[in-house]
Amino acid sequence: MHDTPLIGPYNPDDVLAWEQGGPRTARQFLADVSRLVESLPDRPTVLNLATSRYEFLVGFAAAILRRQVTLLPQSRAPQTLRRVAGDYPDSYGLTDRDDTIEGIESVSIQPLRGRTAWPREIPRVPLNQLVAIAFTSGSTGQPMPNKKTWGALTAVAHATGARLGIKGGDRAAVVATVPHQHMFGLEASVMLPVMHGLVMHAGRPLFPADIRSALADVTGQRILVTTPLHLRACVTEGVRVPSGGLILSATAPLSRSLAQEAERHFQTKVHEIFGFAEAGSVAERRTVDGERWRPLDGVRVVQDEASWMVHAEYLPAPVPVPDRITVDAQGTFVVHGREADQVNVAGHRVSLGDLNQKLLEIDGVQDGVFFLPEEGSDLVTRLMAFVVAPRKTSEEIQRALRTHIDPVFLPRPLVCVPSLPRNETGKLPREAVSELARRWLERQGHGA
Amino acid sequence: MVTSLLEQDIAKLIVQTLKLKVDPATIQSEAALFGDGLGLDSIDALELSLAISQTYGYQLKSSDPEIKAIFSSLRALAKAIEKNRTK
Repeated sequence: MHDTPLIGPYNPDDVLAWEQGGPRTARQFLADVSRLVESLPDRPTVLNLATSRYEFLVGFAAAILRRQVTLLPQSRAPQTLRRVAGDYPDSYGLTDRDDTIEGIESVSIQPLRGRTAWPREIPRVPLNQLVAIAFTSGSTGQPMPNKKTWGALTAVAHATGARLGIKGGDRAAVVATVPHQHMFGLEASVMLPVMHGLVMHAGRPLFPADIRSALADVTGQRILVTTPLHLRACVTEGVRVPSGGLILSATAPLSRSLAQEAERHFQTKVHEIFGFAEAGSVAERRTVDGERWRPLDGVRVVQDEASWMVHAEYLPAPVPVPDRITVDAQGTFVVHGREADQVNVAGHRVSLGDLNQKLLEIDGVQDGVFFLPEEGSDLVTRLMAFVVAPRKTSEEIQRALRTHIDPVFLPRPLVCVPSLPRNETGKLPREAVSELARRWLERQGHGA
Repeated sequence: MVTSLLEQDIAKLIVQTLKLKVDPATIQSEAALFGDGLGLDSIDALELSLAISQTYGYQLKSSDPEIKAIFSSLRALAKAIEKNRTK
């Protein structure tokens, strides 16, 4: 089998997505795609910035059928978008609102209304076709491209569905709080439902009340694709998921106690996915059952000379795991934390080296370092930064940083200091920064 | 314009909830909370929505057509809370 259908088992009038305006059937979806295919410019790469998950999917599918590659930047920060567009100069943008990105030509996605014909056959896509590039933050400040083939995305969707017991024709509905432009969002909230003939909610609910109403929009069993952050918010606010569905969490480790609380509260199972943009989803666990991750079918985690590598048929080469892990004889593993340079803030992974680099590029900044304090009791532990910039205020530096990095990584706080505790070789040991942070927090009265 | 008592309370709630490095009294009633003002993001919005719900019993919704206006400034947020609070 060298190619597979663009969508899974749908009858023409099955609902494929639930939009603000109501349901979109598989028939309407294929018509929306084939119309957009006609109007796309002849370019190799596209930045799909659609805010609606459905319209993102229409754009993604149309690009695939035109053999164009969808670029998935780490954030929507204008500087990041321009940088990616600069690296892929023949790119154009796809938007579903009147959004425009300065300096990038954009096409708008407008779904058709009214009745449309079912095509004689569902379009097919070659498994080896490159369909997306997901960017991750590299330690040099340059975003690193990770290439995704149609085969990789569909294999992960089928392996995840199989592990969770999702069957084609279940007609369950997927509601997701995660962005569809991120790797986990693309896999779990777009590819997973579409490959299994499920209903996909087009919204991206943020507040607990939004999640409650998105869950009420759809019928049947619900699959809530989310993060520990949103799950905590839903439990706190007493949001109910109709029982019988399931919750799928990723992007940051979920604590056993929150998983237990969520299972009790929602009367449903809470599963977690372990993955990272370079490899996609790798393993799964039901959090209340224990800390061990079980690799998805077809995935093996194998020790190389220096590190653990993910092997899968759909990966062109083995991919190193960015975490410290220990693997047992059955191949299941425990995750102990990020490798030194990598940190995770609210589910977004970034290299501290990359952030430091961007800080040092700001006019007037002589020295500076980002630091992630120990996790506290807050929903999210934010980064802090210490900066040496005698002629600048911390507000000025924050403003400059905002155009360069994802807002989630903006330091809280950014502290201006006369100098950093560098040692005689010019290195800045983590312990020294940690001590600086501890002293600063103590003075602020936040410390222990 | 003078800052109302409710605005002062909400300013304190924002600073406490989000651990901002500002004196609540210096938050201007009309200044932007997100983007260029205090520089808050969507995770802050989520944290703030929980604090507002717990303190005032008002559950924010993004589908509310006024949501952008509500979060535009301390004054607008205070007005919305005043109107919708249940405790």
